[in-house]
Amino acid sequence: MADALVGIVANPLSGRDVRRLVARASVFPTAEKANMVQRLLSAFASVGVQRAMVSTDLGGISAEVLRAQRRLRPGRDAPWPEVEFCEPDRLTETAADTTSAVEAMVAAGAAVIVCLGGDGTARVAAQACGQVPLLALSTGTNNVFPELREATVAGLAAGLVATGAVAADEVARPAGLLQVRAGERSEPALVDVAISRAGQVGSKAVWDPAELVELFCTFAEPDAVGLSSVAGLVHPSPRDRPGGVALRLDPQAQQVVRAPLAPGLLREVGVSSARELGVGELVEIDLPRGVIAVDGEREIEFGPGQRPQVQLRSDGPRCLDVRAVLTRAADGGLLQRPRE
Amino acid sequence: MTDTMPQQRATAALERSALVQAYRTMRTIRAFEDRVHDEFATGDIPGFVHLYAGEEASATGVCMHLDDRDAIASTHRGHGHCIAKGVDPRTMMAEIFGRATGTCKGKGGSMHIADLSKGMLGANGIVGGGPPLICGTALAAKQAGDGGVGVAFFGDGASNQGTTLEAMNLASVWNLPALFVAENNGYAEATAAGWSVAADNIADRAAGFGMPGVIVDGFDFFAVHEAAGEAIARAREGGGPTLLEVKFTRYYGHFEGDGQAYRADEVAEAKRSTDCLLRFREHVTATGRVPESELDDVDAAVTALIDESVTQARQAPKPAADQLTTDVYVSY
Repeated sequence: MADALVGIVANPLSGRDVRRLVARASVFPTAEKANMVQRLLSAFASVGVQRAMVSTDLGGISAEVLRAQRRLRPGRDAPWPEVEFCEPDRLTETAADTTSAVEAMVAAGAAVIVCLGGDGTARVAAQACGQVPLLALSTGTNNVFPELREATVAGLAAGLVATGAVAADEVARPAGLLQVRAGERSEPALVDVAISRAGQVGSKAVWDPAELVELFCTFAEPDAVGLSSVAGLVHPSPRDRPGGVALRLDPQAQQVVRAPLAPGLLREVGVSSARELGVGELVEIDLPRGVIAVDGEREIEFGPGQRPQVQLRSDGPRCLDVRAVLTRAADGGLLQRPRE
Repeated sequence: MTDTMPQQRATAALERSALVQAYRTMRTIRAFEDRVHDEFATGDIPGFVHLYAGEEASATGVCMHLDDRDAIASTHRGHGHCIAKGVDPRTMMAEIFGRATGTCKGKGGSMHIADLSKGMLGANGIVGGGPPLICGTALAAKQAGDGGVGVAFFGDGASNQGTTLEAMNLASVWNLPALFVAENNGYAEATAAGWSVAADNIADRAAGFGMPGVIVDGFDFFAVHEAAGEAIARAREGGGPTLLEVKFTRYYGHFEGDGQAYRADEVAEAKRSTDCLLRFREHVTATGRVPESELDDVDAAVTALIDESVTQARQAPKPAADQLTTDVYVSY
């Protein structure tokens, strides 16, 4: 593949919500996000990627990357691929900017899309990337879906797949997806859907377990942070297994689980039942009014007559497995050569 | 194993009376500012006015958590903070018209409205003038042990001033019960925050002072109310200061008469899609929490109040010449 293109979409707002106040979550500075983009670009170039498409934002990431591009010293600094920035008609400073950037990358023929953000950003990117493999890196708060991984290594993996050195089909695994509907709203979730008695979407994060009624997870890891950790600690379900987990939650339940709902926020959550959630199973929610959180953020308010439904699907985004890519690179000697 | 965390209910639904109060405050600020905009065009208002329309959810969402123990410091754009902290819109209007019946006897005008009886330390002519004042009230509250907090509202321009940064440092060093509310409306006068704020997000600077920094949607009353409630409860309980950045757009220029050549169509877009009053109304009526008719009644009452405030202000006398040297620090 002579003209491999990789897209990078970076959310300038990830990692700054109210969880820095109600929990002990960290701020992920803009400068570090811009640094990660640069490390990705160096890694792309080192494995022969010739073009990269980078999202444009008003939060300072793309501006810093542009400045760094102008400062690159030929022969001294690691080279980059040819970088083009997305040119959306307008920037909204909302999730719509992530959507339009990913759509532009898909339309331009990106072979891989790297997404920098938290679970919320990955969720939005996943909706727009279609069959293009997604590599989600964590620059957010809970980060169950995106990986906490060095960008240089992720960049090597994305580059090796984009150039065709490693076949995408061998290293991209399909993720599960929860689709939730209420009234006219429909949203996907990559990790979890929580049904809550909260009064409103408000500041979005979920940190009061007493308000939670039901929790659905595409997968549930015991060492996760966020809502899915509750399921992970009572009914673990690995990522590569097709089924998910469904929990009924009740502050008065006999069984309580101490779970990290956010960084630094360990709360006891009453769990009245836990079971496997089958692919395709449609669950109707029996609550007259409330709020639905997807991947840890309150998104949908519902009232009487808007009975929510949750369904686990198997056609989520194709996710690049970085370790699998680099294992193949090692096995095939892709990053080796004899000294000339 | 017991859960030692206090039960936090910040995300619970507000009572109907609180929702109506929030709507009334936001509507009063909007109607007040729209009317000052019109009245200023007649040429009868002396001095400058800086209008708060579009930003109502910030002052309202924060000040609903405050009581008589608490003090706030404000900015050039102070009318909304005054109203949200309980200052009478009638005396405020008289003040803006420069009348003897005004909040400050007509001698301060828009940029200096202060009402210490309400814990409103004043709109402020100095960019970044408010945050140091709040360190003083917060220290007093801490010494008195009365649970009071100090809240400084400031803009993106003031976020770059030394006074603001020094105040945040001091508040953290002394673990003061303070809240710093950065109202980022995108422009310091005509200078874009995206260009002039080096960290791009004001909230990110909190890390440098060892305090939490949070960004919320400033058009969303509930988002501001939840986050401010957490920050204020934390301050009252001895947890220390917080930096809360609210992002939104101001609907009018920096000051009345500003040609606004520096910005495009964001105001029309915001009024159409993200406006705090529109969204609030839609939420509380769609969820059946407040009937539409009750909000209509609030609108009518607010319109009458603002009409009354302008009529009274226009009829009120100007300060007498012999009052020129009273209410000043220096004795003549």
